Amino acid sequence: MLVMRRRAGESLLIGEAIEIEVLEIFGTRVKLGIAAPDSVVIQRKEIKIARDENITAARSVRQQNISSFLNQVASQPAGAPVKNLTDASILTTKCT
Amino acid sequence: MPRIQTKCFDELEYSPDAVCEFPYGIPGFEAEHAFVFLEQPATHPLMFMQSLHRPDVCFILLPVQAADRHYELCLSEENLFALRLPADSQPRIGKDVLCGAMVCAPDDQRPHPTVNLFAPIVVNLKQKIGIQAIQTEYSPRHPLISQDRQEELVACS
Repeated sequence: MLVMRRRAGESLLIGEAIEIEVLEIFGTRVKLGIAAPDSVVIQRKEIKIARDENITAARSVRQQNISSFLNQVASQPAGAPVKNLTDASILTTKCT
Repeated sequence: MPRIQTKCFDELEYSPDAVCEFPYGIPGFEAEHAFVFLEQPATHPLMFMQSLHRPDVCFILLPVQAADRHYELCLSEENLFALRLPADSQPRIGKDVLCGAMVCAPDDQRPHPTVNLFAPIVVNLKQKIGIQAIQTEYSPRHPLISQDRQEELVACS
C-alpha cells in the first residue's frame, strides 16, 4: 500500500481524472473532498462490506441452512448462554 | 388483522404495531423500509427479519450476545439520532434496542457459517425504528461457532 502524508488543503491525484483533497482534520476524523468522473463509483468501504454480506445473508435463508444453523447454535458449550433478542412479545409476530 | 406473506412460514397475521420502520432501508435493500421480526420456539434463538412488502426478502438473525457474549454496541451520534435515542448514552441490548447479527451460510468464500457482528441490525424497541449500524471493532464474518468447537464437531461426526 502506498502511504502518503498530506495536510489539510493538500490534494492527491489518482490517474488523470480523480482528485482527493483533505479539507479538514479534527481529532480522529478527516473530511475529504473527492472529484471523479460520474462513471467511478465512490462509496464508504463499510457500506460495501455490509451490502455484500446482506445479499449473501438473504440468499442463505433456506430450510436446510436453518436446520444446520440451529444444530451449530445448540451445540454451543455449556456456559455460553443464549439470550433472547428481547422481550419478543412486544416486537414480534409469533409464528406458531 | 392484516396478513403478510413470509419466506419461511407461509402467510401469517401480524399486528401493525409489530412493524419496524427502516427509514433508509439497509445496504443492498434500500427500497425495503418496513420489516417484521418473527420468532418461533422451534427455531430459537434465531429470528427472522421479514420484509413486509417483499416475501423473498428475509434475513436470519442471531442475538449478538449469543454470538459473542461480551458484545458491546458503540453507536455513533448519527446512529443514535436516526434511532431517536438520547445522544448521551448507549442503549441497553435487549432492553432499549434489539440487536441481531445476520447469519450467512457457507459459500465459496467461507467454509463455515458466519455472523455479521460488523453490521448488526439495531431496532429501537419503543419507537420501532431500525437501522443497520456499523461496528468497526467487530468482524463481518465472525464464525457462528468457535474454531475449537468446529473441530470437535467434525471429530465427533
